[in-house]
Amino acid sequence: MSLVIENLSAGYGKVPVLKDINLHVEQGRICALMGRNGSGKTTLMRCINAILKPVQGRVSASGREIAGLRRIEIARMISVVPQSSHTAFPFSCLEMILMGSAARVKAWSAPGREELHKALQIMGEVGIQHLGTRPFNQLSGGEKQLVMLARALFQDAPIMLLDEPNAHLDFSNQHKMMGLMREVVKKRGVTALITLHDPNLTLYYCDQVLMIKNGRAIAEGPTSAVMKEQTLRQVLGENIQTDFTRGGLQVVTPRHRRGATGPTPKTKDKEADSCGATIVNGVVS
Amino acid sequence: MGPDSIVSENPVGRSRSARGFVMRNRGWLFLVLFFVASLAVSLCVGRYRIGPAGVAQLIFSGLGLDGVMRAPAQETQLIFWNIRLPRIIMSFAVGCGISSAGAVFQALFRNPLAAPDILGVTAGACFGAAMAIMFFTHLTLAIQGSAFVFGVIAVSLAYLLASRSWDRSAAVLVISGIVVSAFFQAGLSILMYVANPYDQLAQIIFWIMGSFHVASWAKVQTTLPVVVAGTILLSVFSWRLNLMTQNEEEALSLGIDVFRWRMFYVVTSTLMVAISVAAVGTIAWIGLIIPHIARYLVGPDHRRLIPVTALLGGSFLMLMDTFARSVLASEIPISIITSIFGAPFLGYLVINSGSMGEKSELGN
Repeated sequence: MSLVIENLSAGYGKVPVLKDINLHVEQGRICALMGRNGSGKTTLMRCINAILKPVQGRVSASGREIAGLRRIEIARMISVVPQSSHTAFPFSCLEMILMGSAARVKAWSAPGREELHKALQIMGEVGIQHLGTRPFNQLSGGEKQLVMLARALFQDAPIMLLDEPNAHLDFSNQHKMMGLMREVVKKRGVTALITLHDPNLTLYYCDQVLMIKNGRAIAEGPTSAVMKEQTLRQVLGENIQTDFTRGGLQVVTPRHRRGATGPTPKTKDKEADSCGATIVNGVVS
Repeated sequence: MGPDSIVSENPVGRSRSARGFVMRNRGWLFLVLFFVASLAVSLCVGRYRIGPAGVAQLIFSGLGLDGVMRAPAQETQLIFWNIRLPRIIMSFAVGCGISSAGAVFQALFRNPLAAPDILGVTAGACFGAAMAIMFFTHLTLAIQGSAFVFGVIAVSLAYLLASRSWDRSAAVLVISGIVVSAFFQAGLSILMYVANPYDQLAQIIFWIMGSFHVASWAKVQTTLPVVVAGTILLSVFSWRLNLMTQNEEEALSLGIDVFRWRMFYVVTSTLMVAISVAAVGTIAWIGLIIPHIARYLVGPDHRRLIPVTALLGGSFLMLMDTFARSVLASEIPISIITSIFGAPFLGYLVINSGSMGEKSELGN
């Protein structure tokens, strides 16, 4: 299911947060959403999910406008992995994940044996089968994030929105989470929109990028085309440069480290940058 | 992902779930035993003593099986059928209604310390009862009717006030409830201030403290159907309450129209509480504590929690009322009893909340 955003403007009360956002994500692709804190990434997610009504513009999935649909219909098309989660009562992880079936289960009913098996299977896929009976609130931030991912997968919607899914994960779990997303996208043909703060994760795992600054789109397109040094500096801050590993992978590093010990990174000249981009195109895609 | 799972393995996972299952069954067993014991005690104990044999005689003769046992005395029959039995049914129904409403409100406001009167139903009902006591004493059902109507009006006002805000979260509803409660409490204070201190004031105070000595078959007829229907409705739609405990945005994205369902749950439980409070006056603490005990017994899943809370609340209040009517020579107002038992228990819960596997916290 493709996701299309046209001329979207939105805000809270009279304060505009997003202006004229356009985005087209084809089915089976991962789009990264990048921008600094407060740039409007979460607001965009809210508009897509029809939690916030846009002032102008429309969001549609496979040609159907989302704003006009009932909650249950939206939930069948879009699932969300929130930034952080807490529950007031000691629900077990399995009970939390089972909530993902609400859009399929009748109002007077509850998930049965079949749903339970499906939930357990997805827990296995995510690698959290051993967490089933543990109270959700006693988990670490990273484990919670994985449970929320399992719940979104259990919801079984063709479009997934992930709001900083890596926020509480350690280095290797960040890569496992992203690798898992790649697998899910490939296996189920899911369309995913992920907010990310780490440009290196974007470079490794995402097909396309939307860069937002102060509520406006600065750049949009395939990862290799968008992740240029100049664009990154404009959106994420001046202290940034792109470089290449010995294996030829493009990486993003800080330009200078104030007060840091050890070797300072060398600032590259312009030719090397443009030359590198062509190599990367071959490697990343 | 397969073998290299993201987090460390936990070999006790399976045995934990087995233990949970046993605990749950033991919880049910405890519950049914508690109900039967409370019922037996409530039937036998009282200022007019009727032993277990006496109760058996009464029930047999009541069923028209006169030949099985000797028919009991006329006086005993009168007390049992017209005073004690409606009172027992009434206390069970009220306990059941207020407790399950409490469990629902705790879920809706995502706060284990929420009580059913959080939206002003009790304050409204007290005001309504005081109005009736002062101005419409000559009408038979005036107090009950007026208390019920004002209880419902208070909650409607809180809802109306909250709906004027752009923020549709449950927190705004709680604040509206506090505003409305304060307003009706002020109204009640005015009424108490101008009330005749020799009869009206005392009557208002006794009504507020609550008592089942006013129980009658007429009151059972108005209260029981609402409570039974409400409890069945809440039990049927109980799984959704799990989702209502989630953050609003999460519940919405899982496919629940949070605002509509909140309305449904609030209306159902408000009717149950209003009809109960209108019949017998305020009952303190029950709605807060019973859901806690139930959660301790069967876990937080509302599919089990709602029926267990209803049965436990009914049995508990039935027992407390037996206490209230039989310990002293004169009747003790029920709220005093429930507070004496309830408040220390809540203190215990707050101190030991860690071992209950949950964090009790004020606010969202």
